[in-house]
Amino acid sequence: MLIPHPLLGARDAQEFTYLGDASLMDRPDPNGPEAEAAFCDYVFLRDNPAGVHRELWFHEQGDRSWLVVTRDTVTHEILGAELARDVKRGAQT
Amino acid sequence: MTDLTPVTALGASTARRESFGPLTITEVPDVGLASLALRQGQAVPTPFGLTLPAPGRAVTGKTASAFWTGPDQWMIEGPGQGEADFAARVRDEAPGCIVTEQTDGFVVVEITSDAGAAPLEALMEMLVNVDPGTFGPGQATRTAMHHLTVFLLRRAEDRLSVLVMRSFARAAWHALAETAGRQAR
Repeated sequence: MLIPHPLLGARDAQEFTYLGDASLMDRPDPNGPEAEAAFCDYVFLRDNPAGVHRELWFHEQGDRSWLVVTRDTVTHEILGAELARDVKRGAQT
Repeated sequence: MTDLTPVTALGASTARRESFGPLTITEVPDVGLASLALRQGQAVPTPFGLTLPAPGRAVTGKTASAFWTGPDQWMIEGPGQGEADFAARVRDEAPGCIVTEQTDGFVVVEITSDAGAAPLEALMEMLVNVDPGTFGPGQATRTAMHHLTVFLLRRAEDRLSVLVMRSFARAAWHALAETAGRQAR
């Protein structure tokens, strides 16, 4: 399986380690209302879609950047990859 | 006082060198190394007059060279400066950047071919999952070789450098020598 790294091109998936759902990037505000319930959901609850899924991959044996990879969990087709920091910055502006 | 004897990463008093057909593998013990990273929003410096390279690339200058290791991160190499305080020199050349000494963390292994690019590319095909066709001169990347993380630098058509963590020097040498030896048979 090859992952289309946004900076380095197609790279062997073995160079990467998988973390999980990209929603992990959206950590709830610990001072917000109902923070405890929000954190409970954040830590324990995940969607488990059969189909398109956005997930975090770490290029551990590469340039050590975090990627948000869009993958079809049914076909294992990789639909795209972005730098996680660009995703995060894009969400902030 | 104990008399300490300096040894190379492979444990000998002189650098190891072995030839297998057209390929020669050489341990290069005297390269000064330092990593350079930018702080958030910092402008890119030009240490030793080098234009720090784009992702996946390397540049060679008169006194030092550099290759990209990650977003806003580079490794600076100072040939012949293995015994100097190379990180301090890099720090002077790149004020305000995050500079970390790496000389003692890595060993540089140089692979040269006296029969052009073909034997070198055949060796790469056996060892790493990087396309030798697109990995031309001036390319540099970090990848896995026999489960070891290595930096690969294509310095020329017939010259490849491998930077591996120093404590894995013997394992990396074993991987390179076994594969090159098998190829020469």
